Amino acid sequence: MLICPEVAETRDVLSALDLPTGESVPVVRRSFHGEGGEGPRVVVVAGVRGDTPEGTRVAVGVARLLQPRLSRMRGRVDVIPCANPLAAHLGVRAVPGFDVDLSRRFPGRADGHAPDAVAAALIAAMEGATQVIELRGAHPAFREEPQAHVRADQPEACERAASANVRVVWKRSPPASDSGTLMACVPGLIALEGGVGNRLTEGVGIELVDGVLNVLVTLGVLPEDDLPYHWAAIQRAVVADDSRVVRVRAGRAGLFLPSMAPWAEVAPDEILGEVVDPVSGDVRETVTAPTAGRLLALREQPVVYPGTLVARVVADPP
Amino acid sequence: MSVVFSLEAPYRGAYALHRLSFGGGPGPRVAIVAGVHGNEVAGTHALNLVANMLRMQRPRGTVHLLPLVNTMGAEEARKRWPFDDRDLADAFPGDPDGQPVDRIAAAVMDATAADVCVDVHSGSSRLHELPHARAPLGGRGLELARAMALPVTVRRASHASSGGLVDAWTDAGRTALQVRGGRGGALDVGDATRMARGLARMLGALGMLNGTDHGAQAAAGLETARTTDLRAESGGFFVPEVAPGERIETGALLGTVRHPIGGEMQEQVRATRHGVVLAVRAWPMVHARELLVRIADEVG
Repeated sequence: MLICPEVAETRDVLSALDLPTGESVPVVRRSFHGEGGEGPRVVVVAGVRGDTPEGTRVAVGVARLLQPRLSRMRGRVDVIPCANPLAAHLGVRAVPGFDVDLSRRFPGRADGHAPDAVAAALIAAMEGATQVIELRGAHPAFREEPQAHVRADQPEACERAASANVRVVWKRSPPASDSGTLMACVPGLIALEGGVGNRLTEGVGIELVDGVLNVLVTLGVLPEDDLPYHWAAIQRAVVADDSRVVRVRAGRAGLFLPSMAPWAEVAPDEILGEVVDPVSGDVRETVTAPTAGRLLALREQPVVYPGTLVARVVADPP
Repeated sequence: MSVVFSLEAPYRGAYALHRLSFGGGPGPRVAIVAGVHGNEVAGTHALNLVANMLRMQRPRGTVHLLPLVNTMGAEEARKRWPFDDRDLADAFPGDPDGQPVDRIAAAVMDATAADVCVDVHSGSSRLHELPHARAPLGGRGLELARAMALPVTVRRASHASSGGLVDAWTDAGRTALQVRGGRGGALDVGDATRMARGLARMLGALGMLNGTDHGAQAAAGLETARTTDLRAESGGFFVPEVAPGERIETGALLGTVRHPIGGEMQEQVRATRHGVVLAVRAWPMVHARELLVRIADEVG
């Protein structure tokens, strides 16, 4: 374990991926020890998928802002900036060489192959934490508004997530088939995401950094009078369960050309875009809003098949 | 041959799910599926061999064959559905109103409404598997797996035996099995032929092929409920010393892990149990703790 003398930060290797050529690629944990007294332990993990650089940007942004605040910080914050460094170095979702999605391997196996061992090490690192925050990016085909995902059966996580400077807290009831996800293994997890997949999105990174810091304030880790944002700038989230997040799918194949922007207010049957023939340009389908609400996500990769998701709408409260 | 489902595509002709149906009279109904993973073509060839046989001999009852579900993946030697890189095997039982793979999965479920269903797979593109059956611990499924007389039958508890399709069939009340053999991204005609013969023996055991003796031609293989995975201790270059199907004793040398540049020995991989080699890693570059050899344990 490396101890940085100027600041109360320690670094250790949670797990390592031993490559065939002999190189070992570490998964690094940075631990920030508050000097303001006992307090909660919070784990912030990013980059479980390799195509989510936004999450890593937010993680290192949080770490940078914690360093000068350690004298008044309480408890401990563990930051894992990139849980999947092999995938991140190629900008791909799955672990290269294994072709497995780390985000579906939890709780992993300590004696398994590298992705399973990493998953097990991450779970071990989260045990006993007061709060775990996962920083994700958006799906590569979408632009997503800043949002938090929590399990519907975790009211405390939902309440904390509402202070994370996001537009929406989505209370999810995942199907049993999602058993390998981090959220399935860490029930109180708050997952933050937003922006565009495999890209950095102007504004989103700053909003999510502020959001993580504000959750730390809510938990009593950081004092609220020494933050890089004004409390009034923190947005209050819309809290919605699965029934209020409505998926909009293409009915025809072609190119989806949106006519709205994310977070736009939409009325029932209002036009969201068109699916056009990629050669003739003829309109094959006009895609409309199924309900009144706001656009939480909008497809930016335009090629669609019948059934391809093109938007998510957060419906107005009934 | 009929198209039982199609899905419009943006730049090319529609995706089509093809089904070959034989017989149609009274008797058992059997559905056999291959190519859910687009790069696993041994199963596709096996089903085409079965189709050739059924063209020459009309079966009693009905046999539905879906030799290649993931056609677009197969065109690119890709395991997953290439458009959004989703694994069809994780999409069952599917959703007719869902995303493309969910719709295809739902169509496969509809097209395989039968008493007995078999899903044929290969190993990954890095793993060569011996043709074998994965069956439930007992009941009709196990009897039919035994009837295939493949070199190995692995018994597993229900819902732990295979990917999503077998589980979805089981949930739907059908007798469901998985047959595996060969490796992704390559066609081993011998593996495909053995799987085809096993499937034919199963049809024979169901009384669907009169006058043939597919069941008696093969010696009974090893039946086990336990397999052992031998993994690399460190990353390196794996050189196998055994092939799928070999019978090995405890302590036998299965292969070596060497440094990929220079070839210095890093590790000898030896059998910890006696049994039959069920799978051998085909691509030599290995990471630490990756599977090198799988043994079907001979117990008792």
